[in-house]
Amino acid sequence: MMTTIIGRLSQAALLLLVMSAIGFVGIHSVGNPVYNIVNIETATAEDIRNATIALGLDQPLWRQYLLFMGKVVTGNFGTSYIYHLPAFDLVMSKLPATLELASIAMLIAAPCGTLLGLLAGRKQGGAIDRAILKASVFALSIPSFWLSMVLILVGAITLGWFPSGGRGPTVSLVGQEWSFLTVEGLRRLTLPALALAIPNIALIARLARAGTIEVESQDFVRFCRAKGLSPRRILFRHTLPNISIPIVTIVGMQFGGMLAFAVVVETIFAWPGMGKLLIDSIQLLDRPVVMATLTFVSLAFVGLNALVDLLYAMLDPRVRLST
Amino acid sequence: MKANTLRTLWKRHRGMSISLPGLLLAAYVLLALAAPLIAPQNPYDPLQIYGWEASSPPGTIGGAGYFYLLGTDGLGRDILSTILYGLRISLVVSITSTVIAALIGLTAGVSAAHFGRWVDVVIMRIVDLQLSLPTILVALIAIVTLGPGIDRIILAIVIVQWATYARVIRGIALSESGKPYLDAARLMRLPTWRVLFRHLLPNSIAPAITLIPIELGHAVALEATLSFLGLGVPVDKPSLGSTVANGFQYLMTGQYWISLFPGLALFGLIASINFVGEGVRRNLDPRSRSHDA
Repeated sequence: MMTTIIGRLSQAALLLLVMSAIGFVGIHSVGNPVYNIVNIETATAEDIRNATIALGLDQPLWRQYLLFMGKVVTGNFGTSYIYHLPAFDLVMSKLPATLELASIAMLIAAPCGTLLGLLAGRKQGGAIDRAILKASVFALSIPSFWLSMVLILVGAITLGWFPSGGRGPTVSLVGQEWSFLTVEGLRRLTLPALALAIPNIALIARLARAGTIEVESQDFVRFCRAKGLSPRRILFRHTLPNISIPIVTIVGMQFGGMLAFAVVVETIFAWPGMGKLLIDSIQLLDRPVVMATLTFVSLAFVGLNALVDLLYAMLDPRVRLST
Repeated sequence: MKANTLRTLWKRHRGMSISLPGLLLAAYVLLALAAPLIAPQNPYDPLQIYGWEASSPPGTIGGAGYFYLLGTDGLGRDILSTILYGLRISLVVSITSTVIAALIGLTAGVSAAHFGRWVDVVIMRIVDLQLSLPTILVALIAIVTLGPGIDRIILAIVIVQWATYARVIRGIALSESGKPYLDAARLMRLPTWRVLFRHLLPNSIAPAITLIPIELGHAVALEATLSFLGLGVPVDKPSLGSTVANGFQYLMTGQYWISLFPGLALFGLIASINFVGEGVRRNLDPRSRSHDA
C-alpha cells in the first residue's frame, strides 16, 4: 500500500511539473505585464525596455522557466509586479481571510444540511422529502455569483441589515487578523458565508438523506422502534452516528471546494482573500502572484488527497491489504 | 449485440412523460433559436441603441417606440434583447464544449481500458489529478494558460469536463473487454478502431450518457462564472454571465433589473437542465430508480 501511494504521489508530482511548464508558457504568452507597470502615456521606449529587463522578461522563455523553477524549489515565487512584495508571502497573508470565510460557511452548512437530510430521509417520498429534494436541485442550480448578488440585493440593499462588502475591522489573535471576534466582523461575514454555504447545505442534505434512508431500513432501527424509543431519539441517537462517516468525508472534500469557490464570492463581496487576489492578479497580469497562488493551491490539494488516501489505508484493513 | 443497449435505452426513455422542466428547456432552446426574430432590438447593432435611454427601469416606453419590458442596461441596450441574444451564446458555448468533452473523454476512457499498460496509466493519472482538484480551479488554470476569447472558453470547459467521462466509461469498458464477444472481435483481427468504436464503446456507453445533461448544466454555470469574473466571453457580445456582470456595478445604485433578470434567466436555464438530467438519470439507472422513488 505504501509503495502504491508513493508511486501515485511521484506520478502526480511529475504531472504537476509538466503542467507547470505548460502553464508557464501559456501564462507568458498572454498580454504584456509591462504595460500595467509603466505609465503608458508618458513612458518612452527606453522606460519600457528598462522595465522589461527589470522584470526579467528579456530572457528567452526556457531560461525564465528554469530561473523560476530554481527559485520555486526554495519557496520563492518571485516578486509581485504590482505590490512589489514576495509573491508567496502575499498569497499567505491573504490565506487567513479565505480560511475564515470558508470555515464559517462550513459551520453553517454542515449542521443545516445534516438536519435537512435527516428530516427528508425519515419519511421517504413524503411532502417534506419531496420539498427538500426539489429545493436542493434549485440550490445546486443557482450560479454562485448570482446567488451572491441576490443576497446583496436582499440583505444589503433592500433590508439594509448587512454591509454589501469588505471585511471591516479585524481583531488580532495568534498573529493573524480575524473578523469573527467582533459583531461588525460577523455582520460582514454573514452574506458571503451564506453565499458559500447554500449550495453546500443542499449537497450535504442530499447525502444525509440517502444515508438516512439506507440506515432507517436496517434491522437495528426496527428494534429501536419495537423497544418504544421516540422517533426523534432514534433519528438523533441511532441514525445520525451511522450516517456521520460519509458526511464527514464530504465536509472535508467540500471544504477544499469552498476555498476554491471563494474566488467568486470574494470577488463580489470585496473580501480580501486569496481568491480575490488571484482574480485581480490575473486581470493585472501579475504573473508571479498567479503562479504562486495556483501552484500553492494545486499542491495543497494533491497533498491533502494523498493524506486522505493514507488515512483510509490506515483505518480500513481492506484497502491496506489490496495491492 | 452492440445496438441493444442503445435501443433499450431509447425504449425506456420514450415512455417517460414530458415534464415541466423539459418544456421549459425546450422553450429556452426555441427562444435562443428565434432570438433575431422576436427580440425587440439587436443589442449588437449600435444604430438600434439609444444611449440617452440608458438605465431605464422595467416598463419604460422609449423615445424610438421601444417598449423596454425589463428595462435597459447602462449602455441603453434592452435587457430582454440582451437576454435572448446572450442565451444563444451561453447555449452555443456550453453545448459545443459538452459535445467535444464527451467525445474526447469517451475515446480516452475506452482507449485506456482497451490498450491498458502505459496508455492506461498516463490517461488515468491525468484524470485522477484533475478530478482531485475543484472544477473552478482547473478552469482558472486553463483560462490563465489559454488567454481570453470565446474559443478559449470552450476549450477550457472541455479541459475541465473530459475527465469525468473518461473515468466513468473506463470502468465499464474494463469489465466489458473481458467478455467473449470482444475476445471474438479481437480474434477476428478486426482493426483496432473497429473494436474500439463499433464494439467496446457502444456497449459501455449507456451509463456515460446520463452524464451528458448533468455536465451540460455544469458547462452553462462554468461559462457564466468565468464570464462574470471577466475571464470569459468578451463584453461586446455578452453571454448571460457577462450580462449579469455588467449589471453588478449598477446594483448598488438600485438599478437591480440589469443583473436580476439575466441572472433569473440563467438560473432557470441551469435549473431546467438539472431537473431534466435528474429525470434522465433516474430513468436510466435502475439503482437510483429504486432508491429515489
